Amino acid sequence: MAALWRRPLASLAAWSVPETLPTMVSGLAIARALDRGFLAGRPLVGLGWLALLLAAAAISAVGARRVYLHLGDLVEPFRDDLVRRVVGGALRRAVAREPDDGAVARLTHQVEIVRDSYGGMILVLRNFLMLLVGAVVGLSSLAPVILLLVLPPFALGCALYVASLGLATAAQRAYIRSDERLATAAGTVLAGTRDVVACGGEEHATGMVTGPIRQSAAAERRLAGVGAVRTLCFAVGGWLPMVLVLAAGPWLLRRGLTAGAIVGGLTYVLSGLQPALSAVVQGMGGSGLRFVVTLGRILDASGSAPDSVTVPDSVTVPTGHAGLASNGRSPNGRAGGWLATGYELRALSLTFAYGPHAAPVLRRLDLTVPERDHLAVVGPSGIGKSTLANLLCGLARPDAGTVLLGGVPVRRLSADRLVATRVLIPQEAYVFAGTVWDNLTYLRPTATPAEVHLAVYAVGAHLLVTRLGGWRAELSPAELSAGERQLIGLVRAYLSPAPVAVLDEATCHLDPAAERRAEEAFAGRGGTLIVIAHRMSSALRARRVLVLDGVGAAVGDHDALMAHSPLYRELLGHWRGAADEGRVPSAVGRSDPPRLLRDADRLDPGTRPRLRDDPREVVADGAGAQIELGRDLLRRRAVRSEA
Amino acid sequence: MAAFGTIARRGGGWLPVIGVTALVGTATTLALPTVLGHAVDAIVAGTGSERWLAWTAGLIALSVAVNLVDVYTGAICVADVTAWLRERLVRKILAVGHRGATRFDTGDLVSRVTGNAADAAQAGPSLVTVGTALVPPVGSLVLLALIDLWIAVAFLAGLALVALVLTAFTRRTSDVIGRYQQVQGRLATRLTESLAGARTIAAAGTTDLEERRILAPLPELHEHGSMTWRVLSRSGGQAALVGPLVQVVVLGTGGLALVAGRISAGELFAAGQYAAIGAGLGGLTGVLNRLARARAGVRRIGEVLAEPGMDYGRSAVPDGPGTVELRGVTVCLGDTRVLDDVHLTLPGGTEVALVGPTGAGKSVLAAVIARLMDPDAGVVTLDGVPLPELHHDALRAAVGVAFERPVLLGDTVGEAISAGRDAIGVDTVAVLGVATATRAHDFVSRLPDGYRTTLVDAPMSGGEAQRLGLARAWPARRLLVLDDATSSLDMVTEMQISRALSEHHGDRTRLVVTHRAAVAARADLVVWLVEGRVRAVGPHRRLWDDPAYRAVFQ
Repeated sequence: MAALWRRPLASLAAWSVPETLPTMVSGLAIARALDRGFLAGRPLVGLGWLALLLAAAAISAVGARRVYLHLGDLVEPFRDDLVRRVVGGALRRAVAREPDDGAVARLTHQVEIVRDSYGGMILVLRNFLMLLVGAVVGLSSLAPVILLLVLPPFALGCALYVASLGLATAAQRAYIRSDERLATAAGTVLAGTRDVVACGGEEHATGMVTGPIRQSAAAERRLAGVGAVRTLCFAVGGWLPMVLVLAAGPWLLRRGLTAGAIVGGLTYVLSGLQPALSAVVQGMGGSGLRFVVTLGRILDASGSAPDSVTVPDSVTVPTGHAGLASNGRSPNGRAGGWLATGYELRALSLTFAYGPHAAPVLRRLDLTVPERDHLAVVGPSGIGKSTLANLLCGLARPDAGTVLLGGVPVRRLSADRLVATRVLIPQEAYVFAGTVWDNLTYLRPTATPAEVHLAVYAVGAHLLVTRLGGWRAELSPAELSAGERQLIGLVRAYLSPAPVAVLDEATCHLDPAAERRAEEAFAGRGGTLIVIAHRMSSALRARRVLVLDGVGAAVGDHDALMAHSPLYRELLGHWRGAADEGRVPSAVGRSDPPRLLRDADRLDPGTRPRLRDDPREVVADGAGAQIELGRDLLRRRAVRSEA
Repeated sequence: MAAFGTIARRGGGWLPVIGVTALVGTATTLALPTVLGHAVDAIVAGTGSERWLAWTAGLIALSVAVNLVDVYTGAICVADVTAWLRERLVRKILAVGHRGATRFDTGDLVSRVTGNAADAAQAGPSLVTVGTALVPPVGSLVLLALIDLWIAVAFLAGLALVALVLTAFTRRTSDVIGRYQQVQGRLATRLTESLAGARTIAAAGTTDLEERRILAPLPELHEHGSMTWRVLSRSGGQAALVGPLVQVVVLGTGGLALVAGRISAGELFAAGQYAAIGAGLGGLTGVLNRLARARAGVRRIGEVLAEPGMDYGRSAVPDGPGTVELRGVTVCLGDTRVLDDVHLTLPGGTEVALVGPTGAGKSVLAAVIARLMDPDAGVVTLDGVPLPELHHDALRAAVGVAFERPVLLGDTVGEAISAGRDAIGVDTVAVLGVATATRAHDFVSRLPDGYRTTLVDAPMSGGEAQRLGLARAWPARRLLVLDDATSSLDMVTEMQISRALSEHHGDRTRLVVTHRAAVAARADLVVWLVEGRVRAVGPHRRLWDDPAYRAVFQ
């Protein structure tokens, strides 16, 4: 970065030299034009000296053009660097699930403030030096004695200004902070307008904003005081030299100075020293402070995001995945000395809490999901189903316990390997501005049109793709409904080469029929399917169900859970009972609510697989014991609850 | 522009002060070169220099003093007006209610309250300073003409040149900046998209790919950014030449006048200074820029202030069972007719389910019934009284609404429930009661500080937030509207809440917007809404015969 700055900075300094000329020449040329030209009755000589002034201006104009260009070479790369930092930082934070709502404001508003004030600051500093050098050089060649008169008060004014900077910085910081507090308060209240009106809390809500509004006004008044102090500094440094030259005028004349020299001296003060001081006082006070404060904020907020998702030191394994359709099995590979075999998922004594004081959402959960299993996860909202999905996918670190994917701890797998083995489709589907094709093939850029076509049709997104105008059409995320976005996310996941698919309420915005079609597509995709269920119908379609109730967990097939999980019965009972209420007996039976019959096996003969005895089906309870979920276990549990 | 005048006048007592100081400041600026010229002449002549010196010192002192007052009062005035405008805006937005939320994004409103209000507050001072900023060039011209007519003519020619440079500059910059901001907007959009899809990106391990995608427009931004500097460089070069050119022409003409004996050396010096004042490019552009920003700010604020707010009447809610009646209710949002001539009666004390496909207008109907917004046509009555006639407090105490995605306000969980209503303070039995009924107590009690846990420290799932939202609406005495307010709850919790709803407060009218057949089946009556019209009203069992009705739940 430093090297990037040095060249434009040197050019900037070099091209600033011509700009000192007009100031340098101004007083001298006017003095000579008067003394040797117009006052001496020789107008041509006078005009000649003035022409010199014009020539200086012309040279300075050329310099000014170059200066702005070089300033651009300094400022634009600096802005590019800031944009990269903001984007990179925000993205990595978001991926690490650290909320950060200010990123877009930083990208647009704050980066621009820094860009403007950075350029402004360089200009101000440059102008100050240019004008000061010009005035000092000019004065010393015209009448050094005047220089002795004007420099001390000028220096005093500058010193006073520097001394007041501390006060100014504090006031500016307070102002910016109050502004941010106001924005936060206003954002909170205005986002909840509907809610405020609904509970009649207008006065209360207004009060939440008026506090910061008044604080902001107070900070602004404090800034007004700072402005007054600056005006005083200018009076001392800019106007006092003027008065001194005039007061010393008669004495200067007696010492042999000409009238032209005195006029020239005054010109140097008015067109050299005064603009120099006002440039610094106004420019640095405003943009300099904004620059420092805002840049600090950007760098703080965009600083190093935690190294998030995957562990980098793991050994990358060859990922020559042959594609799902063939065998639904990924090749074996070595990771960190472990032999990764297949894609069986195992959770061993998994424990996770949101914070050190919070009650854990998962407590010593043991779970095995064999290859090609179809597991639904059900339970009350907020019970930790999404957390489980994150843990299984290696996106979160458990407080205790391990997740093994193909026999290897999931967080020791390389990022490539992880991506090639499992795909997570969250509730909030990610759709970006780009072509439909790019969105669909996001996880499999090498997909062929035939594969994409198959996936689109399987998931049931063909009507959507047609409506959007085909694969090549540009799509605009804002114009898609939540359900349409989910369809795109589902096709994308279906196309993914990963054999393990985790749907985390990924169909919640679809209607039940569309949800059924999408889930059936995934069930027929080959590989493992884990569905975090939004509706109980998802559980009925699954081979096995994991019931989370906040204290313990039970896993088993439908019959086992019906027999032994009160929560499962309750969840299903309410769901089914609700549907039964809607059912009206009718002579022809036509109006039976479809697929809501009593026998679970009759529900979805096509997709609900035969029950099977899987010795690996386990259950964990709060005590953390891993017990076989055989009939005997459930008998034991039943006995215990009776006791 | 009427609003501009109102805001400008709001400066009140400060504005005359600002006007006077600005005028005095201009006068001293204009007088100073003349006085300086006299002082120079007096020094050259060797007589009376003390008098002119005193004048100069006095003028400078005055100029410093008025400048001090000007700077200070200007800032104070802007601070006061800004605060006034911001408060007015917030009140207005809250008074407009739900309809405003359909017109403006929250981020947009916040930028109006924070940024645009501050710009608009400049209306008064900027108007005053535009007036006074015109005085120096005009005054310089007059004073130049008094010194020598030819100098004035030369100066005028110079001014024309300045104007030319100025207009060309503004046109060029606004074009370039517009293009720059477009690219910037594209970058921001891409970042927003990726942030929303963070979990997908995390799982897919495509962070680097996303970074490249977002930053793809950056070279274009760089190009447009460099363009702004090229425009500046052209205009900066012109300005560096034009300013001195005007000065030299004036001085040359003045020098010839000096040779001809028409003016003195001091007057020539004064003429040079007047030329400098008149040709000062920055001052006028800055002032005009400020005025333009103030106007833009006023326009942005005016858009919000022009929205019709909801007025409340003075009536109390009459005794009654909570019967709600809608007659000819029509609501248009933008160009869409969301509700179309709806006639409907919700019998007092019953539970009514409102069902229909997405986009049928269910939420808007719920909002109109709870008076979160007024319909464009038609009337809604509660126990015979039109809603707008009811007193604000009476209406809100009688009617409560819970939402699918409640926005919780307040510092703590307890405040989020009491929502600033004095009737139920934080941490009282009342809060405990509503929290228990809505099953919110279960998880609130597990938070580190219970009801005093700050909302920031209590990350909540959709279902937990819904339970708090329900608790907040629960105290309503006459009518409770649940707008899909239990959609994120599991069936068990929903069942428990529903039981509490009918057991403890069976006398209230309940309107429940829902997608679940179970909820509709439980209700006394179902209102089936399709495309903004009531398709049918009746018990769920009767409607179930219609395949189209069943399709609503499939």
